Amino acid sequence: MSVFTLSQADKEARLLDELSTLTDFHRANCEPYDRILRASGYQGASGVAELPWLPVRLFKTLELKSIPDDEVFKVLTSSGTTGDVSKIYLDKAAAAEQQRRLAATVQTVLGPKRLPMILVDTRAMLKDRRSFSARGAGVLGMSTFGRDHVWALDMDGQVDLAALRGFLEKHGDQPFLIFGFTFLVWLHLYEVALEHGLDLSNGILIHSGGWKKLIDQAVSPEEFRKRLSGVGLTRVHNYYGMVEQIGTIFLEGPDGGSLYCPDFADVVVRDPETWAELPPGKPGLLEVVSTLPTSYPGHVLLTEDLGVVHGIDDGEWPGKRFSVLGRLPRAEARGCSDTYRSAA
Amino acid sequence: MKFRFGVEGDLTAPSEDRLTVGDPRVVDFLAKLARKLLAPAVARKFPELGSLGYFLRPAELHRAVAAMQRTDAMVFPRGNVFHLPPANVDTIFVYSWALSALAGNHNVVRISSRSAGAAEVILDALNKTEADPVIGRTQKMVTYGHDDTVTAALSRWCDLRVIWGGDRAVDTIRKQPLRPSARDLTFPDRTSWALLSVPGWQAADPAARKAAAVGFANDAYWFDQAACSSPRTVFLVGAGDTAAVRSEFLDLLLQVVDQRGWTVDAAMAVEKRVNAYELAATGAATAVDFPDNRLTAVTLADTDQAPRRWIGAGAFPFAEAGSLLDLVPAMNRQDQTVSHFGFAENELRAFATELGGRGVDRIVPFGSALTFGSIWDGYDLPAEFTRLTTLHI
Repeated sequence: MSVFTLSQADKEARLLDELSTLTDFHRANCEPYDRILRASGYQGASGVAELPWLPVRLFKTLELKSIPDDEVFKVLTSSGTTGDVSKIYLDKAAAAEQQRRLAATVQTVLGPKRLPMILVDTRAMLKDRRSFSARGAGVLGMSTFGRDHVWALDMDGQVDLAALRGFLEKHGDQPFLIFGFTFLVWLHLYEVALEHGLDLSNGILIHSGGWKKLIDQAVSPEEFRKRLSGVGLTRVHNYYGMVEQIGTIFLEGPDGGSLYCPDFADVVVRDPETWAELPPGKPGLLEVVSTLPTSYPGHVLLTEDLGVVHGIDDGEWPGKRFSVLGRLPRAEARGCSDTYRSAA
Repeated sequence: MKFRFGVEGDLTAPSEDRLTVGDPRVVDFLAKLARKLLAPAVARKFPELGSLGYFLRPAELHRAVAAMQRTDAMVFPRGNVFHLPPANVDTIFVYSWALSALAGNHNVVRISSRSAGAAEVILDALNKTEADPVIGRTQKMVTYGHDDTVTAALSRWCDLRVIWGGDRAVDTIRKQPLRPSARDLTFPDRTSWALLSVPGWQAADPAARKAAAVGFANDAYWFDQAACSSPRTVFLVGAGDTAAVRSEFLDLLLQVVDQRGWTVDAAMAVEKRVNAYELAATGAATAVDFPDNRLTAVTLADTDQAPRRWIGAGAFPFAEAGSLLDLVPAMNRQDQTVSHFGFAENELRAFATELGGRGVDRIVPFGSALTFGSIWDGYDLPAEFTRLTTLHI
């Protein structure tokens, strides 16, 4: 079963319809959202790229939800680099649906059964309240797709070689799942596997969290895949997603090198000067759309990530193939009131 | 501790040097500095340095010195002055330091480690300007990290502490005690507006409208609209076809921005979009318009919804008012400069009288919002930088 089935034309027709309906629904149920659309003169869209996008940062400063207070089932928060946090409100239905769709997405590469799982992280992280929201939620969310979990790092953040060896002895001859943040996988799994000759050839790696730290170490995504295949890890899937569109992840296909959009989601790359949609090959600002945000108006979001579409309906899976290229730097204000940052 | 100007050494050591109010050695030095800043190559690259150079011309300096003199008291330097200018408005520190030096004070200026661009050019010019040795011994500019002990020592040393940089900077620095006889001169967060007379605009000829747009563009864009004097909200005042006036004003503004080749990057464009949407979401704005990354227009629901925080470079909320007097209730102590176009003198005078000092310290024509003056933020700076001795015989 796959959620990567629709050709771009079919997908856009479906998404336009569903997302327009969602837009109307959110307007009717989220007053601040309706005010924004009214103020910007939104009249309806005849294509996905015409749908009214919200800058993702608005969820850090505004309370945007389309459900009554007593139906709020879960409030998700993201940690931002500036200390602001996004607040995402889910009702029961939205919470269940996002989990179901996330499962369907990862099962495309994992199969329907839960696999034994290595978490490339430390359990201690769950106890750190500050870092919990982003990293912990990611790990916990993904851990439900596995069983017989083992943590690759001990409570001190050191590689737990004995645990890894024990896991591989028990499960290494069957497919197993590895999950972790890209940089941790590189630092704590790849290098350890290389050094100690661990056999990861039955592993399926799902990883996320951005390339910045790796690029700083001069490790490109291509290099990352090449080096991992050197320790037998050939089934490697990076993904891109954000708490503001929880449940929607853009997953690297089996062909490697680009991310694909599940049937209920898509990306639009925009020219940061004209804000028009850019054709494949031209990098710009990434907009992500998804039908999952039903309890808050996060169905059409302009991210602060730069990306590029590589091709449409020309890869292993249908639809757009794209890459994330990095972050848009934050606007720096000059001004008299710049303040003394910390102390004198 | 990095010395950017002046003789290195203990900043708080007692000094034998004595300067007078309007000391010729200081006047001479500032006048030479002005010539460097007015050099065409410098002024072209940093137009704000041209204004600074103008402010430091000998004629201006002599005028400032003359204004320090009084008939009812003898005027002397205040003593030791410690300046904490903002990091991002590169030229402010020179104005406050120069006036203080002109008043004969010994000055220490803390230059932010984040200073760049124009500030570096100024420091370079300062160091290349020929000076009497007393200048380097009495005028120091230093950069140091977040070191409370240095700030504390200088706070105990000075007779006057000049704190720029807004509310948080003032609150932070004020934790360091001064000597009982010393005091603070503070520059907290400020907001500035533009007032455009609708009938005045309609009565103006095309050249005057164009000149207004040029002046306003300089006011707004020079410091990314983030200086305390940069106009933010534009109030369209008086009866007439306000929609037509606004649209012509914006067209002209964009033409100026085009001619100057000013750009607004993608991050700033997103920043403005976020802020404009926020205003819409809360009901403060009824319309948001993004004709171009360099220009965002926001229609406010009412005059009292004008945002007092920075919303980006080239972001212009608009609100309408029947008359200047109708705007008075929307102004408060935080408001610093209103720049105006198209009003009669009696209208502006009545506006200022009605404000009664409860808000707005400067009322200046378009194009002069950023022009520093020795009366600033409601302070008479030369008076602040001097002390008076009465002599009765």
